[in-house]
Amino acid sequence: MFDWLMWFTHMENSKPLALVLFFGAFCGVVLYVFTGRRRSQRLESYKYIPLDDDDDPRQSSATRAEHHSQSRKVMDNE
Amino acid sequence: MRHEHIETNSGLMILLILFVISIGGLVEIVPLFYINETVEKVDGVRPYTPLEMRGRDIYVREGCYLCHSQQIRPFRDEWLRYGHYSLAAESQYDHPFQWGSKRTGPDLARVGGKYSNQWHVQHLVAPRSVVPQSIMPNYPWLLNTDLDYSDVADRMRALRATGVPYSVTQAEYDANVTKFGKAIADQLDISQAQDNLLQQAREKDFDGMPNRVTEMEALVAYLQVLGTMVDFNKYDEGYFATFR
Amino acid sequence: MAQSSALPAEQYNYDIVRKFTIMAMVWAVLGMSVGVYIASELAWPFLNFDIPQLTFGRLRPVHTTLVIFGFGGSALFATSYYVVQRTCQARLAFPWLAEFTFWGWTGGVALGALTYVSGITQGREYAEFEWPLDIAITLVWVSYFAIYVETLRRRSQPHIYVANWFFLAYILAVALLHIFNNLAVPVSLTKSYSLFAGVQDAMTQWWYGHNAVGFFLTAAFLGMMYYFVPKQAGRPVYSYRLSIIHFWALIFLYMWAGGHHLHWTSLPDWVSTLAATFSVILLMPSWGGMINGIMTLSGAWDKLRSDPIMLFLITSLSFYGMSTFEGPLMSLKSVNALSHYTDWTVGHVHSGALGWVALVSFGSFYHLIPRLWDRKIYSQTLIYVHFWLATIGIVLYIVSLWVAGIGQGLMLRAFDDYGNLAYTFIETVEFMHTPYVWRALGGAFFVSGVLVMVYNMAMTVRAARREQPVIEAKLAKA
Repeated sequence: MFDWLMWFTHMENSKPLALVLFFGAFCGVVLYVFTGRRRSQRLESYKYIPLDDDDDPRQSSATRAEHHSQSRKVMDNE
Repeated sequence: MRHEHIETNSGLMILLILFVISIGGLVEIVPLFYINETVEKVDGVRPYTPLEMRGRDIYVREGCYLCHSQQIRPFRDEWLRYGHYSLAAESQYDHPFQWGSKRTGPDLARVGGKYSNQWHVQHLVAPRSVVPQSIMPNYPWLLNTDLDYSDVADRMRALRATGVPYSVTQAEYDANVTKFGKAIADQLDISQAQDNLLQQAREKDFDGMPNRVTEMEALVAYLQVLGTMVDFNKYDEGYFATFR
Repeated sequence: MAQSSALPAEQYNYDIVRKFTIMAMVWAVLGMSVGVYIASELAWPFLNFDIPQLTFGRLRPVHTTLVIFGFGGSALFATSYYVVQRTCQARLAFPWLAEFTFWGWTGGVALGALTYVSGITQGREYAEFEWPLDIAITLVWVSYFAIYVETLRRRSQPHIYVANWFFLAYILAVALLHIFNNLAVPVSLTKSYSLFAGVQDAMTQWWYGHNAVGFFLTAAFLGMMYYFVPKQAGRPVYSYRLSIIHFWALIFLYMWAGGHHLHWTSLPDWVSTLAATFSVILLMPSWGGMINGIMTLSGAWDKLRSDPIMLFLITSLSFYGMSTFEGPLMSLKSVNALSHYTDWTVGHVHSGALGWVALVSFGSFYHLIPRLWDRKIYSQTLIYVHFWLATIGIVLYIVSLWVAGIGQGLMLRAFDDYGNLAYTFIETVEFMHTPYVWRALGGAFFVSGVLVMVYNMAMTVRAARREQPVIEAKLAKA
């Protein structure tokens, strides 16, 4: 039943196969993530999520406002 | 597909994570159970006798594996210091394996037969009395504590469930006779476990106390069998390399 | 957005976070003290006192369990419960179940330590818990997963923030590892035999052992990093896109690397070569993550001068970078031939465990404490004191074990002019005495830093408790 798995255990088969699969997937992800200006901006806008939530009761309202305007700005560009 | 689909869907994210983290383990572990060359074909390796098996339990209990490895690597210095490099076959009945990861003390894979029983007892009770610079703890209680062998058959049954060929039925016993010879097949017979244990203790008297069966008895019995099962003179230079 | 009138302390379940934070510090003190003790046993063996429960072999699992699962685990429960609530802006789901994870986890770790000193152990490194405890831990873990996912589902943010991806991957991976590595056939309540034997057992164990490091001590703490570094810096993480690559590459690659713990053993060569290859590639996502964390501060480096918490976080990332460089180096077969079985490995683990895991946890806790107890930290100066005690401790520790490990490795493979071994094994043991003393001293420095933190934290909490009735009285009047 598992005989076909044996094909993969031969280094001369599995090495190039793995290389093509994994490296291909990796390049795909990198290209997806880093190409396209709009996509980049969209993705980067999510990094403000933890800062959206002001938790420090002693934080001045000025810095609070700054965070919000920053996150707003990016979202507007979308 | 956008990455946002994953980021906004916890179920999809869970599935993808599971897929990604499964690949490495599947590729490296599953074949070890199916590739025949993983464990070398070699004569002599047998399951432990009841007494040795109980000794091994004590070895695990005291955490010996945290300072002593049981795995000799194929280097010249290790060959000179410890002997032939370890074979996968030699630990095929080891549940759990005790290869270790640290040598605060020397490797023990082939310690069997290198020292006398008396030396081992003395060394375990007071290591610095035989090796002054040693940093090993003293284990005096091993000599004072009688070995509990009441559940030795239960232990063998549990090991049998994991695949160790301890025998319950006549068919299993016969198979052991064919594979290991009669003397050893008798030792592997679970119904004879306690008698076998006591008999080995009486005959070999590992702890130097003929009237008692102590934990020391079992532990030394185990140490003395380590690495002695394979007769390396029977195999050509390079034979084992074909399995690597 | 948290625009509601409710205070965060009421909006979110902070009670469970406080509990785990306190327990993390308790385990840190206990576990690290045991560590200093067993380190001293190696330098002065009389400390074993001929008492079975105190011998190195039985205490060593106590040390590793208390620091990894006790301290590290509780720190992760605390921070993940906090982060998931704050980034999802939702209250933690199933509060009673969260309560169960606290008592279950704390009880499990405590019982584990007690069983080890009694000689009850599976004999598998970092997985010494016997089977009843393994089952209990599995139940706690499944509850943890349920709470975490349900809280994610109740989020009011459309997006799941990066930190949560790492926490999620860690919860899933640890479940997988724990279950497969602990398959065993029980004899009695206190004894079992592992299902696998020999080479298969070794590979399963180190697949577990390495990924316990990869997911428990790395991925999860990266989750911590992705929240607390930006929060403390008051600016977003350097690159969100880099974090996407970082995440998927890291969780994919780590799972392949376990075999490098078994170089030159009876494990077939193809497995360990594969593992070494992936270990080297792993350097890239590791450093990607480090860069992402450190560069968060770009443009605001002055914070390192004014904020001791930032100092903790950034130093932890530097140690992370260092040990993730050292790791791939040691996974090369030629280097491993020397380093394996020696104290170099132990030093490497501690540069990661003390330098990365512990420092990032301390930094996160210093950030958390004022928020959890709604009270300014008692002493900013003591944070600096803690930082320097910890850093000196780590440096002493890893340098002495470099000396011990590399020294022993070189001595063991030295030959004299006639081709005989130049040193006996015991001569290497003698050689290691001095480094062992320094190592124990380094550990003592680190523990004293932790004690300073405990004092600082206790004083903060005490002040908060004293203030509490006053606030409540004011509220009642208003």
